[in-house]
Amino acid sequence: MTATATATATATPVHRADPRTTPRWYPDVGGTAAALSLLIVVALWVGNGGVQQLIGGGAEAVSAAGRLTGLLASDLLLLQVLLMARIPLVERAFGQDRLARWHRWAGFTSFWLMVVHIVTITLGYAAAANTNAVAELWDMIWTYPGMLLATAGTLALVMVVATSIRAARRKLRYESWHLLHLYAYLGVGLALPHQLWTGADFVASAASRTYWWTLYGVSAGAVLVYRIGLPAWRNWRHRLVVDRVVPEGPGLTSVYLSGQRLAELPARAGQFFQWRFLAGPGWSRANPYSLSATPHGEQLRITVKDLGDGSSRVAGLRPGTKVLVEGPYGKLTGESYSGGPVVLIACGIGVTPLLSLLGELPYRAGEATLIYRARTEAELAFRGELEWFARHRGVRVVTLLGPRADRPSWLPADLAGRADSEMLREVAPEVAAAHVYVCGPEAWTAPVRAAALAAGVPADRLHTELFAW
Amino acid sequence: MRRITLWMLSTVAALVLMFSYRTSTNSPAPVAAAAVATGTSSGGTSSDGSSSSGTSSGGASSDGAGGTTYTGSTASTRWGDVQVAITVADGKITAVTVPVYPTENHRDQEINARAVPTLVQETLDAQSAKIDTVSGATVTSDGYLESLQSALDAAHLS
Repeated sequence: MTATATATATATPVHRADPRTTPRWYPDVGGTAAALSLLIVVALWVGNGGVQQLIGGGAEAVSAAGRLTGLLASDLLLLQVLLMARIPLVERAFGQDRLARWHRWAGFTSFWLMVVHIVTITLGYAAAANTNAVAELWDMIWTYPGMLLATAGTLALVMVVATSIRAARRKLRYESWHLLHLYAYLGVGLALPHQLWTGADFVASAASRTYWWTLYGVSAGAVLVYRIGLPAWRNWRHRLVVDRVVPEGPGLTSVYLSGQRLAELPARAGQFFQWRFLAGPGWSRANPYSLSATPHGEQLRITVKDLGDGSSRVAGLRPGTKVLVEGPYGKLTGESYSGGPVVLIACGIGVTPLLSLLGELPYRAGEATLIYRARTEAELAFRGELEWFARHRGVRVVTLLGPRADRPSWLPADLAGRADSEMLREVAPEVAAAHVYVCGPEAWTAPVRAAALAAGVPADRLHTELFAW
Repeated sequence: MRRITLWMLSTVAALVLMFSYRTSTNSPAPVAAAAVATGTSSGGTSSDGSSSSGTSSGGASSDGAGGTTYTGSTASTRWGDVQVAITVADGKITAVTVPVYPTENHRDQEINARAVPTLVQETLDAQSAKIDTVSGATVTSDGYLESLQSALDAAHLS
């Protein structure tokens, strides 16, 4: 038995450039740090008599509520910056799609807390000074230290939130939206002076000022290091260029990239990069593409579907074109898989990271099933490679073809009469004992996850990557 | 000019203009002629000095029977200047006035309308600068103590 296992293992082209497994304490550290920062600002407020003032009623209570919401709003703002700062520990602990969801949630929450802060502080101060609220607000903006800046910061954040409401976001070009979104950094920065100079919880206490400066410093530092410094260093070190461009089928193009010291690039199968091709106009927009082949240290491959959003440029790329990347990102990796049954479920272009995983995961013949969902037979890509995996690695490939079902389901229309989880068990009977990798569009991924959980897959063995966020 | 250039120029221009505004750099507020808060100790016969001649260094002026008035130095605080004047007769502080304190906005006015009389009364009771700061008015209290100390020094009271 041992002999067989060894023989199979050596026969398989398993490559593990850097078997970095994410320590299990990473999510604990991230979550604890976020919770602690919220706890500290609440404690600051309590320490300054916030609770007594709130219970005391009257204008003081309103102002106290205003201070609390202000503290929480700015803390959440900084947490949002940290969520998006591409800090490796955070990325590996939670994955970018989850981080992006939390970022959106924290964004809107901090915005509304900020609105409540402005309203309650204005009303509280106005009541204490016996003036009307509008006059008080005007007075605050022009005479309180740092308040003109805070007002400008508020306007910047209002603009960012307004352009991130889904309806507005759809109307904007990505580039415009992204540039406007950068004003959030400005908004966060402009809010700092009024907190330190007029915030009642800061003027009295050196410790709280230190805490606040530290939080701001760490956020700014994280952005500089991980969003700018690290990608710049990686690009300088690896100098990726387009090696060749290969059409894969209708609207599908593979790009092979070469570079220097690629074996030292800490990328794993299933991960993605943000790509910028320096080939004239449109280069400034980064697009997320997964590696569609296992990174072997000599070349990288991505496969791009023409969605009309800049991805059409890819087909026209010339060999030698310089490429800038940010990454690698993504948690859809084999780091927690050490053998046994594995079920990979793809929809459309979502097959690309699963294809690279097929080349890296150390499964044995008969242990792996790839379920590949596409609308038509013509849209099935990589047939040659899938056949290779079927023949040489014993991968079972199941295709599910047909138009979308008229209910939210991962099945095509003609199979949608069956229950989602029942069909999953039928196609892959070993699913409950397997590691399950899912990649596809969001509306399709949700029912797959539900079906897998219902079929008995534990959540920590269910790995998903959303394709758009 | 491309739209992105225009955006960046406008943003920089707005930032420069905003940072040239006084409150954006935490520079001290201009000294406004502040209302005079006065406190007189029960035994004193001091006349109300009404000393709005706010020199920034301490000074002393004799006003006959009531005693001598010593004006403390101006203490600059985040919210504006604070200046204290004391009237001393027979080695006792008989009156305290605060000719300058922050009143620039409603919040200052509201806080200091409460804090300044408290500080004055505490000074008269303690006959020294060993008094408690008023909670919620830490900044004014600190400025008050600094100016009071310089007035006490000028009067050679400890």
